[in-house]
Amino acid sequence: MLVLRDLSLTEGGVPHLAAVSVDAEPGRMTTLLGRTGAGKTTLLRAVAGLVQPQSGQISLAGADWSRLPPWRRPVAMVTQQFINYPHLSVLDNVAFPLIRRGEPREAAREAAAAILGRVGLAQMTGRRPAALSGGQQQRVAIARALVKRAPVLLLDEPFVNLDYKLREGLREELAELLRSQSDTVVLYATTDPREALQMGDCTVLMAEGRVLQAGPPRAVFGAPATLEAARVVNDPPINLLAAEITQSGLVLDHLGPQSAGATGRALPPGRYTLGLRAEDIRSGGPLPARVALTEVSGSETVTHLMAGGQPLVMLERAVTDHRLGSELGLMLDLGKALVFGADGALIPKGASHG
Amino acid sequence: MRTLYLALKYLAVTLWSGFVIFPFLWMLTTSFKTANGVTGGATWLPWLQYQPSLGGWQSLFGGAGGVNIVRPYLNSLVVTLSGSAIALILGTLAAYGLSRFSFRAGPIRNGDITFFFISQRIMPPIVLAIPFFLMLRWLGLLDSLPGLILIYVALLMPIAVWVMVDFFNTIPRGLDEMAWMDGCPPVTTFLRVILPNVMPGLVVAGMFCLIFGWNDFFFAFTLTFTKTQLLPVSIVALNSSVTPWWALSAAAIVSVAPLAVLAFVVERFLSRGGLAGAVR
Amino acid sequence: MAEIRLQELAHAYAPGAPHALKPLDMTWRDGGTYALLGPSGCGKSTMLNIISGLLHPSEGRVLFDGQDVTRLGTGQRNIAQVFQVPVIYRSMTVGQNLAFPLVCRGVPTPRIRQRVEAIAERLGLTPLLKRPANALTADQKQLVSLGRGLVREDVAAILLDEPLTVIDPQMKFELRRILKEINAEFRVTMVLVTHDQTEAMTFADEVMVMNHGEVVQAGRPRDLFERPATTHVGHFIGSPAMNFLPALAVAGRAVVPGTGLSLPLPDGLPTDGLVLGFRPEHARLSGASGTMQGRVARLWFEGLDEIVALSHPAGEVRLRAPAGLGLAPGDTAAFTLRDTALRLYRNGRLVA
Repeated sequence: MLVLRDLSLTEGGVPHLAAVSVDAEPGRMTTLLGRTGAGKTTLLRAVAGLVQPQSGQISLAGADWSRLPPWRRPVAMVTQQFINYPHLSVLDNVAFPLIRRGEPREAAREAAAAILGRVGLAQMTGRRPAALSGGQQQRVAIARALVKRAPVLLLDEPFVNLDYKLREGLREELAELLRSQSDTVVLYATTDPREALQMGDCTVLMAEGRVLQAGPPRAVFGAPATLEAARVVNDPPINLLAAEITQSGLVLDHLGPQSAGATGRALPPGRYTLGLRAEDIRSGGPLPARVALTEVSGSETVTHLMAGGQPLVMLERAVTDHRLGSELGLMLDLGKALVFGADGALIPKGASHG
Repeated sequence: MRTLYLALKYLAVTLWSGFVIFPFLWMLTTSFKTANGVTGGATWLPWLQYQPSLGGWQSLFGGAGGVNIVRPYLNSLVVTLSGSAIALILGTLAAYGLSRFSFRAGPIRNGDITFFFISQRIMPPIVLAIPFFLMLRWLGLLDSLPGLILIYVALLMPIAVWVMVDFFNTIPRGLDEMAWMDGCPPVTTFLRVILPNVMPGLVVAGMFCLIFGWNDFFFAFTLTFTKTQLLPVSIVALNSSVTPWWALSAAAIVSVAPLAVLAFVVERFLSRGGLAGAVR
Repeated sequence: MAEIRLQELAHAYAPGAPHALKPLDMTWRDGGTYALLGPSGCGKSTMLNIISGLLHPSEGRVLFDGQDVTRLGTGQRNIAQVFQVPVIYRSMTVGQNLAFPLVCRGVPTPRIRQRVEAIAERLGLTPLLKRPANALTADQKQLVSLGRGLVREDVAAILLDEPLTVIDPQMKFELRRILKEINAEFRVTMVLVTHDQTEAMTFADEVMVMNHGEVVQAGRPRDLFERPATTHVGHFIGSPAMNFLPALAVAGRAVVPGTGLSLPLPDGLPTDGLVLGFRPEHARLSGASGTMQGRVARLWFEGLDEIVALSHPAGEVRLRAPAGLGLAPGDTAAFTLRDTALRLYRNGRLVA
């Protein structure tokens, strides 16, 4: 198991890492999810040894890595920019780490050819990386990372620079390839919540250099610990409605009083924030709203609306065509909302005190 | 219309080539002339307009009142080659450092250090004549090959740094890091991963060093006397009361020859795709 | 503002080389928004460069409002182009960058200031006008690039070549909104090139799906979703992609053996290469039995729902299911699908 404890790195007053602790088990994919600048790349680079944290520890199976320079750490990394050795052929690129390790040239080349076959590049072994397309170059980089069977595999948004359909295909290929390496710790960084939830066995939410929450995807998604975590893990963005619970019931700041018992929970009076997911808002209801933008992806429509000063996001599973500026009536399914207290922390269902 | 355009192109190229080749042809024919052939107007065709003779060439070996340039020629070769090689090695290492690491001394940073190197070539050489003279004398290396090589390294290294810094900067740091993660300590990374990708730079820098080194007259003149002689100086020594054009032409041809061969070899290398080690 | 017409346009990079852009005819009406959607290398950037004048087509003509501009250079066509990488003049401030096209055209200074302020206001750049353009973030620089294109009042069309590639995912939404608002307000013809289906379908009134140099289908986003003209379009648009299963002709219908998926065959259609397709969104999980039944092969959790891969002798099919149904690999599951959601393809082309 790879153990990261209290890693901190501050540069120029900006904390890139702030007491980050992560436990990553071998044979499982641990995804680091967060916006650009959350510290994911810095964390991966710290594990690789390319940056030195100012405090904290990194250890694998009990062995402390802090004193090891990158060339002595058993790590493999795939980065966003396709990095391959330009002066070597594809085959030699993949064989390179094995040869460096001392393996005989022929054996190394055979192992390289085998893994290139598995990523579908058997025909390209003689070419130089510059002659390959983006997707192919990234596959070479992945093959090279996998061929040395390093105990720790780091992937930093590896598919972000590729066409979205290629991205989908490569994600699956990667999952297939990793299935056969069950003793590897895999850390995968991404900004896309759906990718993180889909790929990971364990999802780690990060923001501003801190770890917000870590756990299985369903748990993290279903119960984000704080408002910040809820923001990071939801795509489309979660609707955060400021509210107040008074003696007479629930009042939403911009949308007015709601029916009693709308949240289906008994909560003491006070200030709260309700987190309502985009799919829990539907059209065909009483709340008037004006369409600000409709985003159509192939199979669903995300509509951004303004209702009395409150911006709302709605997800519909169809390709609809709301005109910019048109009026819609909305229904908010508040029973499904997450409730966060005044301090921003989640109030789990079943608890009646804040 | 296209054929007219094509004909014009070829005409222009032919004219220009003629313009460029003419001096060399002239030198070649002149080197086979004697005093008679040179006076009384321009002559071109051997045996028809003048009598060819080997006098000019013989004087290069000490005959016919000339100077034996064989020794100085070899000295020049040794000094230029060693000076360039050492300058290239040191310069490349320095350039790698400037490209990869951040240096700071107060307000002075990497860019300033690089400029400092380049600025050495901006200075008029004459400014350095006396300091170099004094330094070599103090070291006891005046009029000697090692001394001259030392000076040449100092003069040629800035060129190497200047050329190589740019080439190193085009290689992304990610490549160094990838090599580290594949198990290469920094020296191996430099030798096996980075250097192969800057081959064109090495060729260009090497070429510049060789050219500047070979052609240097000033420092060869100031810092050598009798024991060690370099080619440019000994060519000047060929002069006498009657300017021996034929000997001078032969000497010129002989001194240009190595550079011509170099240019030919390098051009082949570059056009064969030596520059195609492109990094994405 | 111009109507752009492409007449028998085609392009090959060298005589005799395969067409990078196959012959096509297209009209883009004034003030509309269009998107060219396709994977890398499909010819979309080639088409854009031909329209802007950076490339002269080897065949055919480009007409702006009826005028042949094929041989005209970029400057004479009044096109604004925004590239993948923000193009800004680094030595100038933001305000100077925006003013530059007008300064070059000799527009009087007060008018320049007016236009620059108006456009900066529109794009949210007003607080940055005095800053050196170099010091901005990538998305701000891209806005400046866009602003430079808009500041000219006579601009015929704005061409955007994958402009959101360098933008942070969070900012993409902001920029898309600005683009749509600008189109609504200025009524400028806008053409967007992208490989991202969300971008294309959000931005454009009409989307042109391209592959291997030809326009495979052009239509409103909804039509592309509901009736893809080829299996490639069905695959490219939508996430997960459309499901395709090979079908056989049985008693006048195209049937996928072992399932309830079938459609009547049109008369006289040859019966080879038949494929039935449907979108995962139209399928509803229905417990133990339904139109098609299979074994759950894999599940992908995406937050609001899950993608379920069902395997069946006829092929693998993917569906969306609400999260929390408790399905696990190995379970048997079935879904129902109305016939109106099925599409019939022969050799990759839509037939019914």
